[in-house]
Amino acid sequence: MLSAFEETLLSVMMVIIMFGMGASLTFRDFRIAFKHPKAIGVGFSSQYVLMPFIAFALSWILNLTPAQTVGMVLIGCMPGGTTSNIFAYFSRSLLSLSIMMTICSTIAAFVMVPLLMQLYTQGIDDTLRIPPDQIGRLLFALLIPTLIGIWLRRKNANIGAVVELLGGVLGALVIIFLLATWVPRNWELLLTTHWSVYVAVIMVGLIGFNFGYFFSRLLGLNPQKSRTVSLETGIQNGPLAALMVSLSFTGELQQQILLIPVMYSLFIVLNSTAITIFYRKRTFAEELARDQAKIQSGGS
Amino acid sequence: MSNDLVYDQAPWVELYSPKQLALHQSSGIPGEKWHSIPQMLSQAASKYSANKAFTTCMPNGMNGSLTYAQTEEMSTQFAHYLRGELGLQAGDRVAVQMPNCLSLPVAVMGVLKAGCILTSVNPLYRRREMKHQFNDAGVKAIVICDMFTDKLEDILADTPIQHVVVTSLAQWFPPVVRGVLKLVLKYWNKVIPNHQLTHHTIDEALALGKAQQQQNNLNVEDYWRGLTRDDTALLQYTGGTTGVAKGAVLTHGNLLGNVEQMDTLVQGHLNSGEETVLTALPLYHIFAFSVNLLEFWHQGAHNVLVPSPRPVQNCQRAFDNYPISWMTGVNTLYSALLNEEWFTIFPPKHLKVALAGGAALHATVAERWQKAIGCTLAEGYGLTESSPVLCFNPLTDTRPDCIGIPAPATQLRLVDDEGNTVPLGEPGELIAKGVQIMQGYWQKPEETENALRDGWLYTGDIAIMHPDGRLRLVDRKKDLILVSGFNVYPNEVEEVIAGLDQVLESAVVGVPDPLTGEQVQAYVVLQDDNLDVPTLLAHCKKELAAYKVPKKVVFVAELPKTPVGKVLRKDVRAMALGQPVHSD
Repeated sequence: MLSAFEETLLSVMMVIIMFGMGASLTFRDFRIAFKHPKAIGVGFSSQYVLMPFIAFALSWILNLTPAQTVGMVLIGCMPGGTTSNIFAYFSRSLLSLSIMMTICSTIAAFVMVPLLMQLYTQGIDDTLRIPPDQIGRLLFALLIPTLIGIWLRRKNANIGAVVELLGGVLGALVIIFLLATWVPRNWELLLTTHWSVYVAVIMVGLIGFNFGYFFSRLLGLNPQKSRTVSLETGIQNGPLAALMVSLSFTGELQQQILLIPVMYSLFIVLNSTAITIFYRKRTFAEELARDQAKIQSGGS
Repeated sequence: MSNDLVYDQAPWVELYSPKQLALHQSSGIPGEKWHSIPQMLSQAASKYSANKAFTTCMPNGMNGSLTYAQTEEMSTQFAHYLRGELGLQAGDRVAVQMPNCLSLPVAVMGVLKAGCILTSVNPLYRRREMKHQFNDAGVKAIVICDMFTDKLEDILADTPIQHVVVTSLAQWFPPVVRGVLKLVLKYWNKVIPNHQLTHHTIDEALALGKAQQQQNNLNVEDYWRGLTRDDTALLQYTGGTTGVAKGAVLTHGNLLGNVEQMDTLVQGHLNSGEETVLTALPLYHIFAFSVNLLEFWHQGAHNVLVPSPRPVQNCQRAFDNYPISWMTGVNTLYSALLNEEWFTIFPPKHLKVALAGGAALHATVAERWQKAIGCTLAEGYGLTESSPVLCFNPLTDTRPDCIGIPAPATQLRLVDDEGNTVPLGEPGELIAKGVQIMQGYWQKPEETENALRDGWLYTGDIAIMHPDGRLRLVDRKKDLILVSGFNVYPNEVEEVIAGLDQVLESAVVGVPDPLTGEQVQAYVVLQDDNLDVPTLLAHCKKELAAYKVPKKVVFVAELPKTPVGKVLRKDVRAMALGQPVHSD
């Protein structure tokens, strides 16, 4: 279980991350995104249709406890994390699309997450459910630093860039922080955790990557865009889920549910690294082409 | 009428503006507003003192700026450092090796104000190339970016360099930003090596210069007041793509003459003191040096420096954050920009004119630019040896696939291999005479004799002149492929291959062939794998005479290029003669 201090620290870090995410954006980015409704739409559907369902289905197939199911579905419903942008960068995917998807899914989250949680956790004991309005309020609160970030970058490019960098670094630090504080104290819990939970948290990311990719290809996105959607789908905002759990539950119950986002965050770093190396190889030639690109012949 | 006379009557003057005509009729002795570059620099500095002169914009938007007054003051301090502190004399050579950053204009202007000769060094040069240039030019002092100090350290003992000044990309950024950027560059990007060089930092150098100035009551004008237009300003190394680099000797008069010629080009399109120019091309290259640094400084423009335009997304924040109204670029930069959505969906709304040079601008790029961006994209032509502008498209009347008309006060002819002028409309080697033509190659009398004959610069480029005086570049003379006695111009074959949608770019070269003398080979980069060799050849056969159709086609992942993005046909040819990189 997290101490009050750790909870506060987690909240502050999350605010800075959102602040940084805002600073990586301009309003023009939104307008560009809306010129590409297809990619954003596909990403949005994989994020909010595929992932929650995959998470729910896995919980059901693996027969997880109600508390674990809540954790799984919450992970499934989370918007993309800033971590996905870092991996998009390293895998030479379309960073701008990744950031756009993260921001669009984050903005939509305060409507979508309560709705989806309501849908997929029906029939679960009320004490285990996170009140939808609480989710909405928390997510809405996170939009404020995002907007301040956007404003800040407009006002001063230097401060914007520093904040953006800080947000990105903290995104990775939060996961390390979660693991470092949580794993040692819950070593026994991890050892006694049923194998099915391991399978669930590992598979939710892997299945997300695959579905995201093939779903996008099916709908006609090019391979590079599809790889971006794939990463964005598989990588969820684990720390945000952890924050929500820690703010919504206490004691033993918090620990049980928190197990899922924390384990997810641990394994997604490993999964993403593997898939990033794979994607990077595949994108290498295409990326060179982007660098030195000659336009498509307009003449013929 | 003799062929000479046809060219000497300059059929293109009809296309000149009144100011261009006036300059042209002064027959190569333009107004001579200034006797030296420092004089021009100082005039602009006092006229636009409070304006922003330079901003370095990093890919993430981090930036630092200098005003005209600051640049003037700092470059003056640097001149005092060179002369007062280091004891350099007028005419001593000082090297500047860095990507685009705030230190570059300060160092360059300081060197010129000190009456020293500048030699710009390509930061991507390897140790061997650096050593060659430092020794050839007899460099006594160098200002170098900390990213390249390891290379310098390894070769310093083998060069005449006595003094080293080290600067950084983040120089003169706001303190916190500078610290963060330095950390990122050193520990994340790992591009700043450790070194043990005895050196001054540029801040120390400026402080020492300032102390010299104050203690000895020095006046910087004393260093340059005696300079004339005939004095050497710059040793600009070139020829790196063909063999050993040689220094083109450019005088204050060559460079100022070219500035005056450019003035007539931009007149009526540019508001002095109000423009913002994007400098994504490296300033160590003559194109950006003369156009962006000298001409736009003289016009009081705000220069936005991008340290590295590759990948081209590095330019996005510069376009986002500054009202870019002019820019310079090469074909590859423009085509890369046209592939970026952030650029084409929201074209920079202040952009008025984009100038292209350095390499042939593809007609397809010009066409797409016109459709997507709408502003003028004007191609010019020049060489290091001509400071560099020789020809340009009048901004009111640009034509695709055309390098325009000769700059005012330039004589131009097209000649055959024997040096005889060819009839109008026939291809010939472009030769030129004018205020901007170099004095020769530094300490290379033979090479000079070969390039400069009776005052005519032999460019090695083959062009055709239309009756109205507009020129079209056909190809480089040395790239010409001779198949069974027939001339094949690689550009023509490349243009045909570029007509296929699946092709990103290509390089066509000639390699020895026992039957035909030479054979045509094409190295092609695909942007879409759905193309095979038979389809490509079928397309070529449809569009080209049989002898021009490539005998061999190799698909490659990328083509070797110079730092400014010119395809290095020499390297492609080497590739063709050795083992193919990757063949389907």
